[in-house]
Amino acid sequence: MVLGIAILLVIGMAVYVATPLLSPESPGEGALPIDVTPLTDLKRRRMVVYENLQDLEFEYKAGKVSREDYEALRENHLGEAAQLMLAAQEQEEVTENDVIIERQVATRRAQRKLQPHDSYTCPECGFENPLPVKFCGNCGTKLPQHASKK
Amino acid sequence: MNQVGSVGLIAALAFAIYGVVAGAVAGKLRSPRVLKSAQRAVLGFFVMITLAVFSLEYLILTDNFHSAYVASHSSRALPLIYKIPVLWAGQEGSLLFWTWLLSIYAGLAVWLNRRKNRQLVPYVISICMGVATFFSLITFLVANPFTQLSLVSATGTTPFTPTDGNGLNPALQFHSMIIHPPMLYLGYVGFAVPFAFAMSALMTRQLGDNWIRVTRRWTMVPWMFLGTGIVLGGQWAYHVLGWGGYWAWDPVENASLLPWLAGTAFLHSVMMQEKRGMMKVWNMVLIILTFFLSIFGTFLTRSGIISSVHAFAKSDIGPYFTVFLAIIAAFSLTVLFLRLDFLKSENRLDSVVSRESGFLFNNWVLLAAVLAVLWGTIFPIISKAVENQTVTVGPPFFNRVMIPIGLLLLFLTGVGPLLAWRKTSFQSIKRNFTVPLIFAAVVGAFLFWAGVHHLYTWMSLFLCTFVFASILGEFYKGARTRMKISKENFFAAVYNLTMRNTRRYGGYIVHLGIVLLFVGFAGQAFRFETQKLMGPGDLLQAKDYLIRCDRLTGGENSNYTYEAAVLAVTKDGHALGEMRPQRRLYLASQQPLSRIALRSTLAEDLYVVLAGRDPDSGKVLIHVIINPLVQWVWIGGMVVLLGTLLALVPSRVERQMEEIRKTEEEAVEANHVL
Repeated sequence: MVLGIAILLVIGMAVYVATPLLSPESPGEGALPIDVTPLTDLKRRRMVVYENLQDLEFEYKAGKVSREDYEALRENHLGEAAQLMLAAQEQEEVTENDVIIERQVATRRAQRKLQPHDSYTCPECGFENPLPVKFCGNCGTKLPQHASKK
Repeated sequence: MNQVGSVGLIAALAFAIYGVVAGAVAGKLRSPRVLKSAQRAVLGFFVMITLAVFSLEYLILTDNFHSAYVASHSSRALPLIYKIPVLWAGQEGSLLFWTWLLSIYAGLAVWLNRRKNRQLVPYVISICMGVATFFSLITFLVANPFTQLSLVSATGTTPFTPTDGNGLNPALQFHSMIIHPPMLYLGYVGFAVPFAFAMSALMTRQLGDNWIRVTRRWTMVPWMFLGTGIVLGGQWAYHVLGWGGYWAWDPVENASLLPWLAGTAFLHSVMMQEKRGMMKVWNMVLIILTFFLSIFGTFLTRSGIISSVHAFAKSDIGPYFTVFLAIIAAFSLTVLFLRLDFLKSENRLDSVVSRESGFLFNNWVLLAAVLAVLWGTIFPIISKAVENQTVTVGPPFFNRVMIPIGLLLLFLTGVGPLLAWRKTSFQSIKRNFTVPLIFAAVVGAFLFWAGVHHLYTWMSLFLCTFVFASILGEFYKGARTRMKISKENFFAAVYNLTMRNTRRYGGYIVHLGIVLLFVGFAGQAFRFETQKLMGPGDLLQAKDYLIRCDRLTGGENSNYTYEAAVLAVTKDGHALGEMRPQRRLYLASQQPLSRIALRSTLAEDLYVVLAGRDPDSGKVLIHVIINPLVQWVWIGGMVVLLGTLLALVPSRVERQMEEIRKTEEEAVEANHVL
């Protein structure tokens, strides 16, 4: 009796483990998200430098660090923070461009989905035009206008 | 129930193997649905091992002596409170228990990271389940707790159920023994999680300090359990073994100390990576070493390869563990080697006199301690291999090597926090060291005057004073500054100071605990022992104590018979009451055991043992030990525990950082959706 329940439990657990594999990948989910992008890493490192700076300030006020040490170290930390900020800005520009490009890709993908696939494949030369166009990008033949604006 | 347990074990093994594969596939393909399945496999593993554990516990509690494990480790007369720990009293049960704790840790690691670190988690699952596969495999194949007794005769085998079991080893029938092994195991097992995160970081090339921040708490928790387990073990030895000490450099004690020392080094050196982006390879090496040593410790404890007072049964799990240790070493070092290019240090050491170099020295000394203890522990194996005779290295070797190392560490405990990051000028040193040094010098001179002339003892107490003063100074200076800036009263200032950076001030409290431990250790130099055969009316003088034997008694219950001496104790003429040391004979196992009588104060313990009876005179041998300052060892252990708990509380700075991380994560996800 107890053994039977135990075996049922094992089977139930196995089904529970297998279920995610059998279900199709839901469309909203892409690959696993990246947790630490170079940009967040840079920002976080800058936070650490600020924290170090705060600590230094506190230790100086508490009388643990002499004036010369304090000034030299402060200079050092600020330099490090500036470097990280610069690197982050460069990275941010890259990311911004990435976002713009990604957005364009996404709009084009969406447009593509709205249109039947063959609508911008040239009937003459068979060239697959990447965008809905009136004339073929390869041979210049006029393409049939489909219900893309529906 | 034996069959249910076996079903649980087999299913757990299957889920573990599946978890290894699914985790690796999810990591490689970065597929959320495979990851989900792998996460569920971890849950499945936990459920199945829990089923096996509960089955075994049920067999134990219901006195089912048909089960070989229950018959050899339990008995009908055993009190209920000692039946529960029978689960981990023997080889088979303790391996099952180990595996169960691993399933809990792995389950928690997966659950707490279900919405973050989703790139690291697949490999974390894979590695945790790899370790789980090994342990469930040996539990199932080599040390199965669900084997049943049977009689083999000419006609075939017939099931056999003895009327009673052999009983639990009497030395284990002690209150701290219920909690000591689980604590140690929680320590040993827990290091699997930070190790898994480290390996995962290497495999996914996410080698910033993210893995360090993620695993800090996952390292501190097992470190805390291991430390507490070690102290509880010392307490058990002190109360049960009857030789008046708490540490004997026994191989099994050393086995638990090794990962603790390596873990201590790791907890210190990660700060270098977080603050300065340094020591990246070193941190990897340390966490690999810590995990390796914790498996090695389990191996030493469980294989019976080295004889020890713990006298666990010798068994044939040795070769399996050797192979597993070799796999861990080969795998982790290979992955580390392949990723060396990603582990370049971001900064250099600016000056020899800095917090960084303090940490560096601390690491070297801790590593030297690891090597010394390791060498002494495995020397019997080495000598056997090289000269074909087993040479055991005793406490004299360890004391000669470890006392100077310990004192050096104590010194660094005091010096480290007083040094600034990057570099410290002579002026800053003068500011910070003058007061603690003067304070220590005054106390040192007083101690010398009071008769403390033993070099190591004097140095130990001198350094304790120095470290104590420097820690108090840190709290005082910090609070004073806060009082000035925020106009708080002193207590509010100390509280806010601590809560703002729980990690640092928790760390200081841990250091304070270490100081108290050293005070306790130093007391051993003043230990006093004497013994005498005593009958009613006999007197024994031990330093200031006068002990008079009033009468000898005896008795029995279903678990044991005992004889006891009733002793009246006076100190300097003041009556201190009665003490009743006992000597018991446990019926099921027919093993004798002394139950000591103890009178503790903060200054010293009066430790009385009934060591045996002289058959000719009918008198009993009373052994008296005066152990100064022992209580400080237990208090120190408690303070270390409290300090660690404090350091686990998220500090205000950390919470701010966490909020920033969250908003950024949301931003990243928003981008992802766009």
